[in-house]
Amino acid sequence: MSTLDIILQQLANGLILGSFYALVALGYTMVYGIIKLLNFAHGDLYMVGGFVGFLILSAISGLLGESWAAIVCSMVLSMLAVGLLGVIIQRVAYRPMLQAPRLSILITALAVSMILSNGVMAITDGEYLAFNTDLSFDGLDFGNVFISYTQLALVVSASLLMVILYLFVNKTLYGKAMRAIAIDQDACKLMGINVNRIIAMTFFIGSSLAAAAGVMAGVYYGSLHFSMGFVIGLKAFTAAVIGGIGSIPGAMLGGLVLGLLEAFGTQIPFVGSEWKDVFSFGLLILLLILKPTGILGKTEIERM
Amino acid sequence: MKTRKMTALVTSALAGLLMCGQASAADLKIGIMVPTTGSEATAGKDMENSIKLAADEINKAGGVLGMNIVTVTGDDGCDPQMATAAASKLVSSDVVGVVGGYCSGATLPTLKIYGDAGTPFVVAAANSTKLIDANPGTSFQINSTGFDQVNSAVSLFQDKGIKKLAIVHQGDGYSEDLAKLTKEKWTTMGHEVVAYEVVNKGEQDQSSLVTKIKSKAPDAVFWTAYYSDGALLIKQLRQAGFRKLIAVGDGSNSPKLLEIAGKAAEGVFCFSNPTAEYLPAAKNYTASYKTNYNQAPDAYGPLAYDGMKLMADAINRAGSIDKAAIVKALKETNAFNGITGAVSFTDKNTLAKSNFVVLVAKGGKWTLNN
Repeated sequence: MSTLDIILQQLANGLILGSFYALVALGYTMVYGIIKLLNFAHGDLYMVGGFVGFLILSAISGLLGESWAAIVCSMVLSMLAVGLLGVIIQRVAYRPMLQAPRLSILITALAVSMILSNGVMAITDGEYLAFNTDLSFDGLDFGNVFISYTQLALVVSASLLMVILYLFVNKTLYGKAMRAIAIDQDACKLMGINVNRIIAMTFFIGSSLAAAAGVMAGVYYGSLHFSMGFVIGLKAFTAAVIGGIGSIPGAMLGGLVLGLLEAFGTQIPFVGSEWKDVFSFGLLILLLILKPTGILGKTEIERM
Repeated sequence: MKTRKMTALVTSALAGLLMCGQASAADLKIGIMVPTTGSEATAGKDMENSIKLAADEINKAGGVLGMNIVTVTGDDGCDPQMATAAASKLVSSDVVGVVGGYCSGATLPTLKIYGDAGTPFVVAAANSTKLIDANPGTSFQINSTGFDQVNSAVSLFQDKGIKKLAIVHQGDGYSEDLAKLTKEKWTTMGHEVVAYEVVNKGEQDQSSLVTKIKSKAPDAVFWTAYYSDGALLIKQLRQAGFRKLIAVGDGSNSPKLLEIAGKAAEGVFCFSNPTAEYLPAAKNYTASYKTNYNQAPDAYGPLAYDGMKLMADAINRAGSIDKAAIVKALKETNAFNGITGAVSFTDKNTLAKSNFVVLVAKGGKWTLNN
């Protein structure tokens, strides 16, 4: 492989990984934007999404076979189910805490995270589940640079979801309401906006995006484990902060930046691949010092 | 009347309790230290099941020195901190001996704790060479150590005409040790290690590492860590078009690896302590494991089973439950006939004769490589 090949391949790797990070980071950023909560349970919703997708896929693969149609179908159903789970969590755990000090609701989020991951651990007995769809390894081969069709499908569906979200937030009345609540909740109430319903909707969208990423990860990597939400949760949070937490385009950009950093961090000469996280988290620290609001974050109060 | 009846009832219940207490005085407490939670819980539970199976069999045959074996489990979580807590818990609950030890990194700090208490510890699966130096003399390793595995690995690579080798580990005691020793041995033999890399535990995407490995054009990739992340690496290597030899260490010896990696695992080599299906002597063990637990035993079950049997054998030979006497008896073990082979110890309390075999994945199953 020539140096150019390596650069191109790592670019592709980084973009694929980055689209996972971006999808999960969106949920963090939306929830933070609207109620200023770092929802630590978000990574676990990604994990639950993967498991729900697996259950649905095994149930419907009898009807549709293990085809692309079955995968898309299980992804959509898993998004709905986990979206609802997100709304329930918000209703039961977060809404009663909205007026409490910020730290209390943060701790509640940690508790929800533990309940989800340990719950799935209890159900699955701590076992790894093989999500084996045996998708073909075929793809586009440019000499030494290779992108499989599965990877292409991942990037395309992630981008599609992000475009839909962008349009929803910026072009619809509900999106306008979300942006308004991010600025001033009390004023929104006075204007007759049903604040609680819009917050619930935000959780629904954020959670279902995480579920989509979870199902994609299951299909692509081929295994599910109760702890799989932890690392990605941490990385997606980093991505959200890099992009500017609270900003939706920021989360997308942050995800891609982090993905690319990790891909190229692996390749840095003279040091082993174990240093890639040092580079990405090092950048996070630098950024927090130089521009604490992130790449696209604004210092003003508007955050959606 | 009513009150008197109640009193009688309470008294008899108390008496019953007391009798239970007395009965347990004739119990022989053996500790089990394995990960029953966390990422390696599957292997840990399998070992726990096997140890309990062995204990039941011993009890049915009359126990040890006329005493019934009862087991106490300490969960080490495959984590050094949790393991230290588990070991202290076992020591303070007055166990006569301990059987277990799966993750080398977690087992390492516990050796001193057992050593200080004088408690004999049969290390059933953990086999990092670091355990040899840390052994205070009360621990006994019945799995072949990393050195034996390195020899098996290097001779396979030589047979296959490998020149350039890539080694990937996970930064924990066990896999780093195996990777380092293989690297040393391979380079002293005049060959080249073109990539020596680390995968972070629990990270699913290894594509950037795969690209880096591919760019170094190795003839073989050797994964020295556990099956869960190993399966992902194998899958992503094959997906990216790496067609050459892939070998995995004994921590990856699990049917789960083949299940997760699917068709990508075809032809992958695995160095392994002998698992139940390749051991003629393990037929009865496999059968009773299946009847008791409704599943087939995993890779380290037979060793764990042997560990318990060896402990009981040593206590019988010692003729007492004095810890020092048991340690002495363990040390004097001479060709103990376990299902995994004959157990004798070197002066460093490691297995005198290696028990490693080479397996290859064929049709979604591990088969013996000829």
